[in-house]
Amino acid sequence: MKKVLLQSAVTAAISMSLMTTVNAQDNSSLDIGRLAIAGYGDVTYISQPSMKDEEGNDVQNNVVARFVPIFLFQMSEKIHIEAEIEFSTNAEGETETELEYANMHYFFNNNTIITAGNFLLPFGQFGANLHPSWINKAVSNPGLYGGHGGNGSLGGITSILGDTGISIANIWDLGDVGRIFTNFYTVSGPRQEEGNHGGGVEMEAKKGDNNGSMAFGGRVAYAFLPEWEIGVSYYTGEYSDDGDLNYSAYNIDFNWIGSYASVRGEIFGSSAETEGETEPKVEGEHGEEWVKDFDKNGWYIQGTWQARQLGKAWLNPVEFVVRYSDIKSDFDGSIGHDFEEDAGKIGSRMYYGVNYWLEPSAVLKLGAESTSIDNEGAGHGGIVDDRVFLQLAFGF
Amino acid sequence: MKLVQLLLPFIIVTSIGASSISAFSVQAQHVSDPSLVAQGAKIFSENCGRCHNARPAEEYSKMEWSVVIPHMRAKAHMTGKEALAVEAFLGSTLTSDIRNTVSHEKSDAPKRTGAVLVAQFGCQGCHQIKGEGGTLGPALDDVISNKGEAFVLKKLANPKFNNAASAMPKYPINKEDMKAIVAFLKH
Ligand code: HEC
Ligand code: HEC
Repeated sequence: MKKVLLQSAVTAAISMSLMTTVNAQDNSSLDIGRLAIAGYGDVTYISQPSMKDEEGNDVQNNVVARFVPIFLFQMSEKIHIEAEIEFSTNAEGETETELEYANMHYFFNNNTIITAGNFLLPFGQFGANLHPSWINKAVSNPGLYGGHGGNGSLGGITSILGDTGISIANIWDLGDVGRIFTNFYTVSGPRQEEGNHGGGVEMEAKKGDNNGSMAFGGRVAYAFLPEWEIGVSYYTGEYSDDGDLNYSAYNIDFNWIGSYASVRGEIFGSSAETEGETEPKVEGEHGEEWVKDFDKNGWYIQGTWQARQLGKAWLNPVEFVVRYSDIKSDFDGSIGHDFEEDAGKIGSRMYYGVNYWLEPSAVLKLGAESTSIDNEGAGHGGIVDDRVFLQLAFGF
Repeated sequence: MKLVQLLLPFIIVTSIGASSISAFSVQAQHVSDPSLVAQGAKIFSENCGRCHNARPAEEYSKMEWSVVIPHMRAKAHMTGKEALAVEAFLGSTLTSDIRNTVSHEKSDAPKRTGAVLVAQFGCQGCHQIKGEGGTLGPALDDVISNKGEAFVLKKLANPKFNNAASAMPKYPINKEDMKAIVAFLKH
């Protein structure tokens, strides 16, 4: 049902954009280039003296670095290609390379863009638009965004980052009352985690499709520029190898951007169907099969404020950041095996930071975060999960 | 990873090709349509500081911007026409010189009044003057009385002098033009 809705929305988006007449091509006022190299990088020092791993060993303080070049090509006025590659060193001192995205935009007409290839999914704001370190006002990611900066006891909700497929983006101008942005996409979708967890969902895009069923998703947003944008995203796909277990997620993002302050937040939830078997009543026989939902959800809110409001020249480059993240995973516990590291947790995390801007896209960030896990017995329970960060981030 | 491998030779060939053809061909271009520039400044001010700090024009050359803007058109959900207006605004503030200094200091171009310059450079895309304009920067009505002429002259000559993260473009303007703008802002 949900899929049918999404499919018809996509069809509607395509047919409505076909109806808009293709405008005569106006010309750019710029000298037309073909290639640009941009990107970002960062060096992060993390101090977590009281943090312990699961065996109770001290976690080392560490320094990690990333260099993430972006290659942009303009093949023609209509076709644009972009690729981003991440080179990083991890806490163990190894170098990792990862393709963040590589895709082609086809500027179909004045308000429709078709994208094909591997792209960041327009799901919420953080994953698609705010994660590069010179853009992210904090050093770490919001509590519910795992991977890519998720740390400590909040592994995060399986995050929806990039995947391979096709998307169509439209802009609906409502004149004085704002505008609507729509994105719909179909991608190869989530996979079942390898190993014997039985239910983990993996979002690795590079492995391709595992079950011949595509995932669908979209985001519809209302924007009243420059200050407001509110979006609703949805994603659904089969993740198990036999294609019968579903993973779905929703996200509601809101953004208020003032001239020197901003407030952003996202509410995010995911649900993964999990199957298993009850204990057999008679030894040697099969128990009853069941399918249950494993839900995770959470939200965050982040505020930033530029001290240039205070009218002291030396405070002009200073910005303050506060973020509260909340996460809950309510697996009902009736399954007898370890699920995921962060199963069954209720917790929250505060981040406080001061940023010193060296350039519009270069910043020195000092941040501290503190986590509290509310339910006893969860992994890491009772262990201090606090850290201090120092990061130099730059976009170029 | 395969895609990268596929793209890499392409990257190398096009970059060599592009740079050998065009490295020295960037030209100062005078934008003929000031209203498109003003419109572009407004669209820039409304869109380009939404996700990240707005990036001042002089960070990239005109050719680089022509490749970056389609990337941002997709991110920001701008229409093709809006993207062209933003390009016109960026183009209007850039010269062929990498430091974006004035190339027509001694030229005998006709003197422009403050009002004309403010309109032409799209100041009101980002600033309110008499209640009209964008909000990326502060309103300019009282800036002379609050901070003095010298401050405004310095700000125009180098917007980053008091704020390294300033989104305000460093305009290719000469002393006379700056004084004309200051005179205009006094009223
Ligand atoms: C919806 C969020 C968003 C908006 C709005 C936005 N940007 Fe960006 N911008 C990004 C992201 C994200 C990146 C980092 C590149 C990436 O990850 O693809 C970026 C990167 C850049 C870069 C670095 C070069 C590059 O292409 O990576 C420039 C310059 C830039 N933006 C300028 C602009 C301008 C000019 C506008 C207004 C037209 C704008 N941005 C609006 C999200 C946005
Ligand atoms: C792309 C947007 C943009 C444009 C166009 C722009 N400015 Fe600005 N300007 C800013 C921003 C943002 C600030 C505040 C941050 C800072 O201190 O630089 C600012 C600050 C200023 C200030 C200092 C105000 C204060 O109270 O400290 C002055 C004066 C000023 N601009 C004048 C101008 C004039 C005159 C023009 C046109 C020639 C102009 N600006 C065009 C973005 C812009």
